[in-house]
Amino acid sequence: MNVDMARRFDTVTPGVRRVFYAYAVAAAVLTLGAVLHPGFASWTSLRAVLVVAAFTGFVAAGQMLVVLVGGIDLSIPWVLNGAAIVLTTTSLGQSSRLPMALAFALGVGALAGFANGMGVAWLGVPAVVMTLGMNGVLQGLSLGLSKGLTCASCGSYAPQPLRDLFTGGVAGVPAALLVWIGVALLMTVLLTLTTFGRRVYAVGVNSRAAFLSGVGVRGVTVALYTLSGVFAALAGIMLVGYGGQPSLGLGDPYLFESIAAVVVGGVSILGGRGHYLGVVAGSLTLVAVTTFLQAQRVPEYGRLMIYGLVILVILFAYGRDRSHD
Amino acid sequence: MRPVPTRAETPASAEVLAVRASGVHRAFGGVQALRDASFAARPGEIHALAGENGAGKSTLIKVLCGLISADRGTVEIFGQQVRRVVEPAARRRLGVATAFQELSLLPDLTVAENLLLQDPPRGRLGLVRRSRLAPTADAILRRYGVDYIDSRATTADLSVAHRQIVELVRVLAQEPRVVILDEPTAALPDRQVEWLAGHMRRLRDEGCCVIFTSHRWREIEQLADRVTVFRNGTRVATRDRISESEAVTLMSGRTLEGTYPDVAALPVGETALRVDGLAGGRLRGVSFELRQGEILGVGGLAGQGQRDLFLTLFGARKAESGALRVGGEAVTVRRPKDAIRAGMGIAYVPEDRKAEGLFLPLSIRDNVALATLSRRSAAGFVRRGAERAAVASIGGQLRIGGGRATNQAVGTLSGGNQQKVVMARWLLTDARVLLLFDVTRGVDAATKHDIYQLVAELAAQGKAILFHSSETEEIANLCHRVLVLREGRISAELPGPVGDADRIVAASLKEVGDA
Amino acid sequence: MREFMARLRLVPAQAGLGYVVLVATAAAYLVVYTSSLGRFPTSFDYLSILNTMLPLVFVAIGQSLVVLTGGIDLSVGGIVSLCVTVTATTVTGTGLAPFGWLLVVLALGAACGAVNGMIVAVGRIAPILATLATLSIFTGLALWVLPVPGGSIPPVVRNVLSNPNVPTGLIWLGVAVGGWLVLRRTRFGMRVYAIGSDETSARAVGVPAGRVKLGVYALSGLCSALAAIFYVSTTTAGDANAGAPFILTSIASVVVGGVAFTGGRGSALGAVAGAVALTLVIDVLFFAGIDPLYQSLFQGLFLVVAVLLGTAATFLTRRRRATP
Repeated sequence: MNVDMARRFDTVTPGVRRVFYAYAVAAAVLTLGAVLHPGFASWTSLRAVLVVAAFTGFVAAGQMLVVLVGGIDLSIPWVLNGAAIVLTTTSLGQSSRLPMALAFALGVGALAGFANGMGVAWLGVPAVVMTLGMNGVLQGLSLGLSKGLTCASCGSYAPQPLRDLFTGGVAGVPAALLVWIGVALLMTVLLTLTTFGRRVYAVGVNSRAAFLSGVGVRGVTVALYTLSGVFAALAGIMLVGYGGQPSLGLGDPYLFESIAAVVVGGVSILGGRGHYLGVVAGSLTLVAVTTFLQAQRVPEYGRLMIYGLVILVILFAYGRDRSHD
Repeated sequence: MRPVPTRAETPASAEVLAVRASGVHRAFGGVQALRDASFAARPGEIHALAGENGAGKSTLIKVLCGLISADRGTVEIFGQQVRRVVEPAARRRLGVATAFQELSLLPDLTVAENLLLQDPPRGRLGLVRRSRLAPTADAILRRYGVDYIDSRATTADLSVAHRQIVELVRVLAQEPRVVILDEPTAALPDRQVEWLAGHMRRLRDEGCCVIFTSHRWREIEQLADRVTVFRNGTRVATRDRISESEAVTLMSGRTLEGTYPDVAALPVGETALRVDGLAGGRLRGVSFELRQGEILGVGGLAGQGQRDLFLTLFGARKAESGALRVGGEAVTVRRPKDAIRAGMGIAYVPEDRKAEGLFLPLSIRDNVALATLSRRSAAGFVRRGAERAAVASIGGQLRIGGGRATNQAVGTLSGGNQQKVVMARWLLTDARVLLLFDVTRGVDAATKHDIYQLVAELAAQGKAILFHSSETEEIANLCHRVLVLREGRISAELPGPVGDADRIVAASLKEVGDA
Repeated sequence: MREFMARLRLVPAQAGLGYVVLVATAAAYLVVYTSSLGRFPTSFDYLSILNTMLPLVFVAIGQSLVVLTGGIDLSVGGIVSLCVTVTATTVTGTGLAPFGWLLVVLALGAACGAVNGMIVAVGRIAPILATLATLSIFTGLALWVLPVPGGSIPPVVRNVLSNPNVPTGLIWLGVAVGGWLVLRRTRFGMRVYAIGSDETSARAVGVPAGRVKLGVYALSGLCSALAAIFYVSTTTAGDANAGAPFILTSIASVVVGGVAFTGGRGSALGAVAGAVALTLVIDVLFFAGIDPLYQSLFQGLFLVVAVLLGTAATFLTRRRRATP
């Protein structure tokens, strides 16, 4: 890189710079994987990484939105799981009931998210408490109403069109990937081009000043938590489309993974800074690491430890850049 | 290591310097806050540090007390060179005590815990005797003549002035050999300023080195034995005597003529804002009229409801009762959003721009456009072209950032430019009623001058301006009329320009109905 | 007396939240128990509650210390898991030998916590992220030590720690509470509150924030190790996933206990009360005949309602103070 380019890179805002870093990390992990494990860079393998990363990406989209205003959503696991169960139990595997089932599943997510937002914005309950409580409420409802997933309709599969879509794809491209591209576009447009996006960053940086500038801080907050619920429900729907049937604990791995993806993607955990394109790279990085370790037949304990170390290394790397913000 | 001499052993001769900094450099990100800065202060003197905002005073103070490290250069305390590490505790052991501009009290702790944090009373086994905390702290407060603060109170519940006093007592109680006070009087009422001045003189007479900063030139003239002036991160002069105009020239690099604009010459028009029986918070029924083109001052002693008046008018605080008419129409303002839209539009420019006005990491454009986003949008999308044009035009009008790109983060601008960004946001709303609450607080002399001119220009354009300042002199010179608030009511109304700040102070002290 | 009343008024309502909730839950427990079984709880019931709640009590104490500094420790789950597996596999023998091993486990827990402290204090990484990463690492280590559930604990340890017949647990509970009361009265204890209240200011007045945080996270690790030992002692076996539930329940205990998430306000005793209340709620639901599948629903509601009550109480006391 010559001096002139370096200088231009320096004038790029730190938020944009971190998106570059996130992609550099993702590329480094993929390259390292391809060198150490021939076949890792093949299309089938990459395709698998992309599809798995898509699920992380959906959940992380919602998590990112609440993190942008300095919040956190711990209710993701059971919003996701609950939506998945609602989808199969209301559709009963019939294609004709699919639209209604989709509406119900997304509705559950939206309702849970809305309740979270109301609790945080209007009642002043700390985000950790509100969403943790919501996770418990939804877990209890999901287990109780489905009698521990043993109810009569609980054996249903997701309707065939949904399963075909997610196991097959459109013109050879996995549907999950297409939806992810759509989500990425939507998130980027929403956050960078709309007035809503501007208000989100303003609230995240300084909510008092945003309020005094006429921004409806509470409304923005409620909207973001609602969107987070919708994204978690979306992930649940696609996971049952992919796997056919919901299981208990389907959403558990996505709680901490979504937070990690958001942060590895360069979003500040304190709010106000970050881009969804970075979160895409963050999701890719995390999934690539896991997939690579699985391909290397690293036992689970090793995978967990290396996963943690990778996150730490990335955090330290970002930490070095902090003085520039 | 040489033993540190105690205060009594310190030779009184002027040869030994209490504080000496030489060749100090310090940068924050890309901004060079100190460049080759030098500074020296003797024991037994009161030494004022003067300079505009961003001149490097606060950075120098932080380097002296060890809160941040210098990139290059040396710092000596009583001839002993200190290491370039961040360790306030080590400076404390050398006898350096500092009262910071951003208060360093811990809000959730009691006053007693704050005063005794580093050296609490202990009993057997070295455990802290919690029952002795309050009595010990009370004794310390009384030793410095402060009997009106409850040491059991949680610090967050105290007024800003009382917190400042606790902070000062904390510093005094360390019996330091070097005292550094960064803007100690900014939050203090006059009586406590006298109290502080007394203690500063006593410390000096005992051989202590007292270093302080102030934006009020009168205090520097009255208190300081010597003055050092900083500009652009470096020392430009150290003198025994300095006149205000000379100091302003030294600080800003330019001369200043005719500080206040001629307000009396500005015509006043129709009624823009009419307030009837406004109550809520500290307000106990306030009624007045504000006309177009008028600058209406709100004065009085600190904490008589001025802040609540401004916030309630803007909808940022709930009104319990009262009616508002903007441009003749009755309006209800429940949120700032309503105020921005109401009739002729109401805008509020806050005193604490970092907490209430600015989004430091966001660009100038984002900051300026925020309050008027929906006016330049289509179907929820920002019309970027229109936005860029609007921001460029208002930015040019106010000369923000000297023509720098509007995508620059506001955090990289100087204090004066930051204040202009906040003003620009509100001018863009086309509001006809402007609530300016202490907008010159912590702003250097040259920018203050710019702001006075701007306020007069706005009034000349027919804007109705409600103006409050913690410096009564500004209210006295810049306003057509002055309302004096006392205990949430208007206790007096003075025709302006008053000219003499003492007249407002005198009116502030009178009971309601005395006149 | 007036002095006392004056002091009471200055206590923020939220700080007492844990005790109020505990009393209410305990009352509910007695009512539900007697009406469902027709008699009062026996000493056996109390003993079983005591032994079940001890692990959570210890984790909650550690978590509350971290939260008081304005941080959060997600890695308690990993440290508990790791110490559970190490305890179940290495603590063997008779006489005093097993107790020597227990000390090793405690040291291990403290060391894990110190690693967190280093990352947070020296590396300047946000606590939630630092401990998220180490959670993964410690859980991995636990799986390495004990890939499948198993292991054992010598009876001699069990008799001393959580004797099924004698309430030895009370002694340890007393030790924990006493330990906190001493800690609160050290300079370290005051500094914990100072950092949580405003770290920049605390540094400015000379509080060595880095060292204090290191100590706090190490203590949290130590508490997790204690919890692990009691866990193995009660369940008599180890499991590499044993710690996971403690992450969220310890946070819940701290919240119900009235410790402010922003740091600087609250006490570990409140968190202890919160932990006991959360444990009791499960028994209340059981004796009320509620399907255990709905258990988390009520726990979730309990958490949110408890916090809302605390907020309402604070709000009301503020108003009363504001209007003379």
